[in-house]
Amino acid sequence: MDVSEKDELRNGDTTANYDDESANNNNPPPDWRVSGSNQVSAPNDSYPPENQMMDSFGQTLWYDPTNVQAVGYGGFNGVNNASSSSSSFRGNNNMDRSLEMGWNLLPPKGNGMFLPNASSFLPPPSMAQFPADSGFIERAARFSLFSGGSFSDMMNHHHQQQQQQQPLGNPTESIGLFLPSNVGVAHNDASAAMKESNVVRSSEQGNKQNVPGSGNVSEDTQSSGGGGGNGQKGGEASSKGFDSKKRKRNRQSSEAGQSHRSQQSEEEADNNGDKKRNDEQSPKSQGNKTNSGKQTSDPKDGYIHVRARRGQATNSHSLAERVRREKISERMKFLQDLVPGCNKVTGKAVMLDEIINYVQSLQRQVEFLSMKLATVNPQMDFNLEGLLAKDALQLRAGTSSATPFPQNMPMVYPPLPHGFMQQTLSSMGRNISSPLSPINGGYKRQEANGWEGDLQNVIQINYGAGDVPPDSQAAAAAAAATAASLPSSNMKVEP
Amino acid sequence: MASADKPINTDVPEKDVFALHFLQSLSNLRRQNAFNSPDDTTNNRVKKIKKAAYVSMARAAGGTNRLWSRALLRRAAKENNKVVIFSRRKKRVTWLRRSNRRDPVDAERLRNLLPGGGAMETSKLMEETAHYIKCLSMQVKVMQCLVDGLSAK
Repeated sequence: MDVSEKDELRNGDTTANYDDESANNNNPPPDWRVSGSNQVSAPNDSYPPENQMMDSFGQTLWYDPTNVQAVGYGGFNGVNNASSSSSSFRGNNNMDRSLEMGWNLLPPKGNGMFLPNASSFLPPPSMAQFPADSGFIERAARFSLFSGGSFSDMMNHHHQQQQQQQPLGNPTESIGLFLPSNVGVAHNDASAAMKESNVVRSSEQGNKQNVPGSGNVSEDTQSSGGGGGNGQKGGEASSKGFDSKKRKRNRQSSEAGQSHRSQQSEEEADNNGDKKRNDEQSPKSQGNKTNSGKQTSDPKDGYIHVRARRGQATNSHSLAERVRREKISERMKFLQDLVPGCNKVTGKAVMLDEIINYVQSLQRQVEFLSMKLATVNPQMDFNLEGLLAKDALQLRAGTSSATPFPQNMPMVYPPLPHGFMQQTLSSMGRNISSPLSPINGGYKRQEANGWEGDLQNVIQINYGAGDVPPDSQAAAAAAAATAASLPSSNMKVEP
Repeated sequence: MASADKPINTDVPEKDVFALHFLQSLSNLRRQNAFNSPDDTTNNRVKKIKKAAYVSMARAAGGTNRLWSRALLRRAAKENNKVVIFSRRKKRVTWLRRSNRRDPVDAERLRNLLPGGGAMETSKLMEETAHYIKCLSMQVKVMQCLVDGLSAK
């Protein structure tokens, strides 16, 4: 019979399988001890006409403030106080030892709902008066699952929650959800829902859908910030599994009130921020660029706070990983704009190949052009053209150039070989007679044309100087100026 | 978390700067006697010109402010037995990050291509690649102009 009672207590079965034998005084204490966590499950069982067992059950029953109020038992009116039910629950603990002790303890506390006349409430009509509301059943179911802890705290919490939850259907739903296998999901969704309210970035990835059954729970926990805070904490503490004890500890700690819970949630948010900060500080250097899709908070500390998106893992490592991945994809998009002809290509691997091909092609082009440069012309022209081009650039803009005109111009002015200049100019002039237009036609871009135009102008000057001696002075002056600047530029060239 | 530097900075100087640097390095080449003498084979000249092109590009693109240019300059300086003077860098370079961050995405080919790419994070690698592409294209343009200007016969 003990076994049967144990089973009943554990299952929270409402069948009236209660035996009179187990109603002995000897049995209840061991039964209570064995199913210490199931003390409150007694209400689940039927209410047998057995006085003693009814008393032992009645202890827990009477401690249910809402229950008593709803039922309105004759000696119990106004005796029970929800606020002080905690102490009454502790009284219940003391009563575990023996019923008599409990009887003695209860009245002094003033919460003694337990009267020796409990038997008067035993008949079935009283049972009919027992609240058949779903709330009671739900609470009973929950109590059967949870161990030790604060009976009244849970009552209070649930009471508050219930007050905030409009539909009555919730408790029945929550019953199913409070089963250990599902609660983890519920809390996860609750925490995820909480976080979703804080989601900052419009996700490219699709939002994962919540479990439909728990939608109510998540919304309700959101509506009650404290509950949500609790749920978040519970979800984070054990996102994978659900521990009833942890949950109850949460409830106990937040017994003070909603403000407490809101503080808690704030602390958790800070903890989250810190955690993410710390995690994301280590893999990244200070000067890294961040994803523009994320919201920047707290610019004073220079950190980017990242929130987990709905349906995403909240592991700090995975968060950092996700941040990194988003950075890389952003850069890939940037590169896509750079590399010509990559708009249609999607996917990282193909993009990467395209980029690599482009870089290789550019490098090959450099090599090819250098070969061309090496073979095309003798050395002198090179030098001269460099000087002239430099002069043209300096004359034109000058600001972007890195070589400032030196204050003290070395006295290479006179020794500049004019003859040398003319000789090279004439050679160049022969070369650069015709192809002004092809150069212009070769480049479609404006800047290329503009630059080319300058180069051509410079070359034209030399060309002109080669033909007309009077102009050579101008060209020589120009060349001299550039030659003067040459030493300084050479000083710059050598590191 | 890193500082809030949202837009990726891949500004590249004007073509003039590139042209200037390239021509400077070319003129520097001219000063070398070995270059001007006809004993020098074309191949050597090609190599020298190519190296001059890369070095000038690196200098024009930002000197030691960019990772790839820094690596390029260092490599060139080592070959010439010179010493590259680094300007004071603002951020620390973590050379040992390879092992941490390269597991999921391995852009190894890109790393081999880019000078100094072996020591960067993948995101940093992308950034440097973008800047490198810009500078390379600018250098190619400059050289093309030069070649066209010179080879116009």
